[in-house]
Amino acid sequence: MANLFSSIHYADPYFSVLLLLIIAVGMAVGFVFLSQALGPKKYEPVKYSVYECGVDPFTSATIRISVKFYLVALLFILFDLEAAFLYPWAVLFRDLGLFGFVEMAIFVGILLVGLIYAWKKGALDWQ
Amino acid sequence: MSLGNFDSLRYFLPELTITATILLLVMVHVAGKNRRSPAAALLSLVGTGTAIFFALLTPAGGGMGLFEGMVVLDGFAAFFKVLTALATAIVIFMSIDCVELSDKTQAEYYVFLLCVLLGMFLLSSATDIVMVYLALELVSIPSYLLAGYLKGKVSSTEASMKYVVYGATASGVMIYGFSLLYGMTGSTQISAIGNALTMGTLPLPAMLAAVMVTVGFGYKIAAVPFHMWSPDVYEGAPTPVTAFLSVGPKAAGFAVLVRFFYTVFASPDATGGMWKLTSSVDWTFLFAVLSAVTMTVGNLVAIKQRNVKRLLAYSSIAHAGYMLMGFVLLSAAGLKAILFYLVVYLFMNLGAFYVVVLVANGSRDEDISHFSGLGTRAPLAAVSLAIFLFALTGIPPFSGFIGKVYLFAEVIHREVYWLVLVAGINSVISLYYYARILKVMFLEDPVHTGELSVAFVPRVMLTILVVPTLLLGVYWEPVIRIAESSVRILIH
Repeated sequence: MANLFSSIHYADPYFSVLLLLIIAVGMAVGFVFLSQALGPKKYEPVKYSVYECGVDPFTSATIRISVKFYLVALLFILFDLEAAFLYPWAVLFRDLGLFGFVEMAIFVGILLVGLIYAWKKGALDWQ
Repeated sequence: MSLGNFDSLRYFLPELTITATILLLVMVHVAGKNRRSPAAALLSLVGTGTAIFFALLTPAGGGMGLFEGMVVLDGFAAFFKVLTALATAIVIFMSIDCVELSDKTQAEYYVFLLCVLLGMFLLSSATDIVMVYLALELVSIPSYLLAGYLKGKVSSTEASMKYVVYGATASGVMIYGFSLLYGMTGSTQISAIGNALTMGTLPLPAMLAAVMVTVGFGYKIAAVPFHMWSPDVYEGAPTPVTAFLSVGPKAAGFAVLVRFFYTVFASPDATGGMWKLTSSVDWTFLFAVLSAVTMTVGNLVAIKQRNVKRLLAYSSIAHAGYMLMGFVLLSAAGLKAILFYLVVYLFMNLGAFYVVVLVANGSRDEDISHFSGLGTRAPLAAVSLAIFLFALTGIPPFSGFIGKVYLFAEVIHREVYWLVLVAGINSVISLYYYARILKVMFLEDPVHTGELSVAFVPRVMLTILVVPTLLLGVYWEPVIRIAESSVRILIH
């Protein structure tokens, strides 16, 4: 530990990263404490109401969102990634030959199992 | 000397077997009408067994890099593969017997279990920081699902939520540490990173990276101060899952911890059997302190627990502390002691949880009062639990004692006396809370009347777990030899 500070090389490219880290954390933490210490504290009910432009808030911001949206998002990511893999494969299809074809068939096959699973579990019904 | 993708497949059979089993299980789940059929459990047992078989076939020679150096095939990895697969197989048996899990869609449960197993296989053989991260996530994400598997139970959902939040933070910090290592050395291969750190020392970033990586691995092995998730997760999760998390991922966590730190921040010493620190990062002292704090916190908090599952959670934190002692010594004998202790710990800890499952089947609760009079209600279960608890304490002639002898002896040999003193005091403390369960079981009048019926399969399984716990206390030579040869590979 003792040689830690003496061994800091100020010309080191990482020294600036460290400096940035210290300043960033220091500012973030510092301002929270500064506003806590110096800011005037007047408690009014309006201050604690939800801020929205124009109209008064009429529902809580933390409403429940149907789980179906998450399912769609998950399925989207799954098949979006599949497409992302399929494009470079399609471009290089001739070079990769049979090996590439089999490899991609296995990959799509695994995803197909996933799709069947999602289908059977009712992830695709929007009721 | 690493193989390309296609040539590697031949040596990747354990992982491929598990992958195929997972896909089959998904199909079984989708096709099956009767969701409670034991087919899923049997299929996953067969898959795990085949994976153990293939893992045993690993050529014992020098490490062979697979998939362009993403993973390595060596004795060290094979040891942990067999260990974690064995833990999974025992947990599958435990899950069949567990009433908590019986009315659920079981095939999914086994899919998650095997996904964790696949992750543990990769984690114990990963030699590239990208692979380490991927494998760690593959262990973590199905673990979150397993912890929250009892959807109707509030504590299970809470466990899952806490686990996710804590796990995400820990792996986020860890991957930041990885990015620093990559930035310093320009490589993702851990051996290349180790070499680069030896040549030019950047003490500050290297230290920062070491600490950040410790957060990720410390979370996996539940070492203090990264243990906060574990009591709540262990209590809320279904008991077989708790047993699984306290053994499997912990063992895999130790595997990656040892491989990573002994490759990146240390290099084999010329004298053989020892390592020396490469960069100026003195992580051994850091881990020695962590080890002492981990066992002390685990044991002290365990004293006042009334829920046996939670008590065993804290006890497993303490055991991680004991095992960390072997990690800080930079000697092959220390690592050998960890590996041996993990084998012993596998049997005694899973055995203790097995009895908790059997008792909780009758009472739907793991409060210590349900264990009262177990000595008369279910003698086999009570005596087995007594053996497991004595082994966990480290009392001769049980296997836990031999495990501790190897650990303590090596710590004394390396002259870290303060650490062995802390560990000794801790062992005494642990006797108190383990013995309290024994007292309740054998000396207190039963709260429930009537015998606790234990079916045939749990009887057999308890016997299978008791035998090694006793046997390794008197004849441990073969296991220690395997542990020794598994560690030797790391020196080259």
